[in-house]
Amino acid sequence: MSKHSRYPGYDVWEEHPHWDDHTKKIVGSRRTPQVSYSFFSQGEALLMQTVVSVLVNDHRLEVLTYVTQHLDESLASPIGEAQRKVGVLPKKQLYRKGLAGVDAESHARYGVDYVVLKKEEQQAVLQALAEGETKAADAWSEVDSVTFFKRVLREAVDAYYSHPLVWSDIGYGGPAYPRGYVRVEKGLTDPWEAKASET
Amino acid sequence: MKHEGGVTHHSVHYAGHRSNDMNQRKYADEADVCIVGAGAPGGVLAYDLAKAGLKVVVIEAGPFWDPQHDFASDELSMRKLGWQETRLVDGQDPLRLGHNNSGRGVGGGTVHFTGVFLRFHESDFMTRTLDGVGEDWPIRYQDLAPYYDRIEREIAVSGPDHFPWGAFHGPYPYPVREPISANAQLFREACAKLGMESVVAPLAILSGPFDGRPPCINRGFCNQGCMPNAKYSGLIHHIPKAIQEGAEVLSDCMVTEILSEGNRVTGVVFSHDGQTYRQRARVVILAGFVVETPRLLLHSATPHFPDGLANSSGWVGKAIMPHSSHDVYGRLPEEVRLYKGTPVLSLSQHFYETDPDRGFARGYTLIAHGSRPVAMAGAIAADREDGSFLWGQKLRETMLDYNLYARITLVGEVLPHPDNAVTLSGLKDEYGMPVPKVTFSYQENDKKLYKHAIGQMNRLIEAMGGVPEHVVSDTAHLMGGCRMGSDPQTSVVNEYGQSHDIPNLFIAGASTFVTSGGANPTNTVMALAACTADKLIEVMKRRDV
Repeated sequence: MSKHSRYPGYDVWEEHPHWDDHTKKIVGSRRTPQVSYSFFSQGEALLMQTVVSVLVNDHRLEVLTYVTQHLDESLASPIGEAQRKVGVLPKKQLYRKGLAGVDAESHARYGVDYVVLKKEEQQAVLQALAEGETKAADAWSEVDSVTFFKRVLREAVDAYYSHPLVWSDIGYGGPAYPRGYVRVEKGLTDPWEAKASET
Repeated sequence: MKHEGGVTHHSVHYAGHRSNDMNQRKYADEADVCIVGAGAPGGVLAYDLAKAGLKVVVIEAGPFWDPQHDFASDELSMRKLGWQETRLVDGQDPLRLGHNNSGRGVGGGTVHFTGVFLRFHESDFMTRTLDGVGEDWPIRYQDLAPYYDRIEREIAVSGPDHFPWGAFHGPYPYPVREPISANAQLFREACAKLGMESVVAPLAILSGPFDGRPPCINRGFCNQGCMPNAKYSGLIHHIPKAIQEGAEVLSDCMVTEILSEGNRVTGVVFSHDGQTYRQRARVVILAGFVVETPRLLLHSATPHFPDGLANSSGWVGKAIMPHSSHDVYGRLPEEVRLYKGTPVLSLSQHFYETDPDRGFARGYTLIAHGSRPVAMAGAIAADREDGSFLWGQKLRETMLDYNLYARITLVGEVLPHPDNAVTLSGLKDEYGMPVPKVTFSYQENDKKLYKHAIGQMNRLIEAMGGVPEHVVSDTAHLMGGCRMGSDPQTSVVNEYGQSHDIPNLFIAGASTFVTSGGANPTNTVMALAACTADKLIEVMKRRDV
């Protein structure tokens, strides 16, 4: 596993003049997220953003703001969830009660709100959720903490790995229409793709 | 043009073909055939039947996409190509639906499929006889072979000169795709090292110009909708041709009920923009896939058919099958760059047929499978085979090596079991229809099969010089739920997709599969649809329906 990007000088957004307009618009909008929420309260949004930062291990505000905004939009949207396991609360309730559970768990363990915990403590709270080893029994009576953790992890990761700054970190060439990829075989790269640094 | 929910509805497609006023439809009271669902089978049927001079209406729940303006090179935003309405899932192994296997919109699943275009083998149609598992189909491979030939020619499938497995050995109508991606090359080299044959995948993706469409440019976003139109979809091929032949396509129209009188269907009810309309037809074909077709039948129960329309057998909704579709991600010493090129460019059916020494019946296809960051990160984080989670620093550091990963994916046969089923729940959707419940659990043979496949995928990654690091649990495709058969007691339709109970009701698509096979189903879906079309043209000319 790498500690640092293999492509430190690479910025995939610099390629956007070569992308089709629709893709440009979608990806571009992620770079300038709005800080206004339709579903989350201000407190929930801050808590959500903190949880996201622990899950994806990143502190860049512009990325975290986008991920939180994306989650808020999807929660406010009438579009369905594709599937929901029998016995699991609808997504809106799952998030609302799950977020309350995160704070309740924080209080049960450390006596303070989640957002003011130290990083290691924040990780420990999420670890407890992931393993179903929660202490705030009342807060988790309607919501299974593992189900909530898995859902938030999946959706936070989906949005995080949709941000062009993160694409640049991992050397993802991304959108290539209309030009396509020409040199696709082993060891070959198109001139505009990320090149790993020598070190 | 209308914008809603992030989707643009382009009525321009209908210019000269359809009024936007649903009360000004071409065949409102006098259609010969009404097809519910504009996916892989619906497109083939619409074109063939319209060409034969029949008055065809296709009713599709989702939008009529415009690839240039509605598609994008982006994983997250293009999930909208899937059926996103909430369905309940249950069982020991609840399925992931939506973009994973269910399309919504003209073209259906073909808009977001990878284009892998395989035939089933002879053994797939007779698993009960050969292996004592599943059920035999009422048809044999030879019955379908001329339709496979026809469909592959019709859409210019590209593939190898020699295909080593099954009954069909090529050549394909169009030459094999080249070049292939690094991941596909590495897979083929690893297969060779381990003594397994492999091929460049037969694909419904052009290797040269065809029918005014260009060859593939290796953009890599097959699952997000092809923008250059190099990949086949019903949206760009069969449906526009059907419209040219006079068919009417009603998109953004959700069919909510099948109308019947005794043991005849008379049409359907559909909802558009909050208004309800009726479409009458001499024949109704349900082509709405494995969840919506049984849902509609169960919801359209009558005093004559109290357990669901055309369900005197009790088999409507039963024996649905996904493919087991586990992935192994392996880290290599050199860059692979999984994002580049058509996602599937090589595969092997070395393990397709039953081998008693393996301890399970039936087999599978292994596929070299590209992946973009959202798909990979989401899967290795939250869908791990061992049930653990990968998050925080470990996930971030793993994904910093994204370009070093290779990936192999399983398409594994899942045997039919009556408990794996689509039923109606007590919840209602926005149309007042019961929300479907989809129940699935792997059985013993299924588990032995996918564990064997994971072992082989691990070996292949090691043969590449890599380390298999992440095993992801997933499924692909859906089949069954309205299976065909010759016995009306134990099947819903006959070999042509005609209901045993209701002679002017047909079912097309993967719903009628008796077994799942161990290969991507779209070629078989379209070949069966072409076979149904031929039969319908014959009987409708004789006015036998």
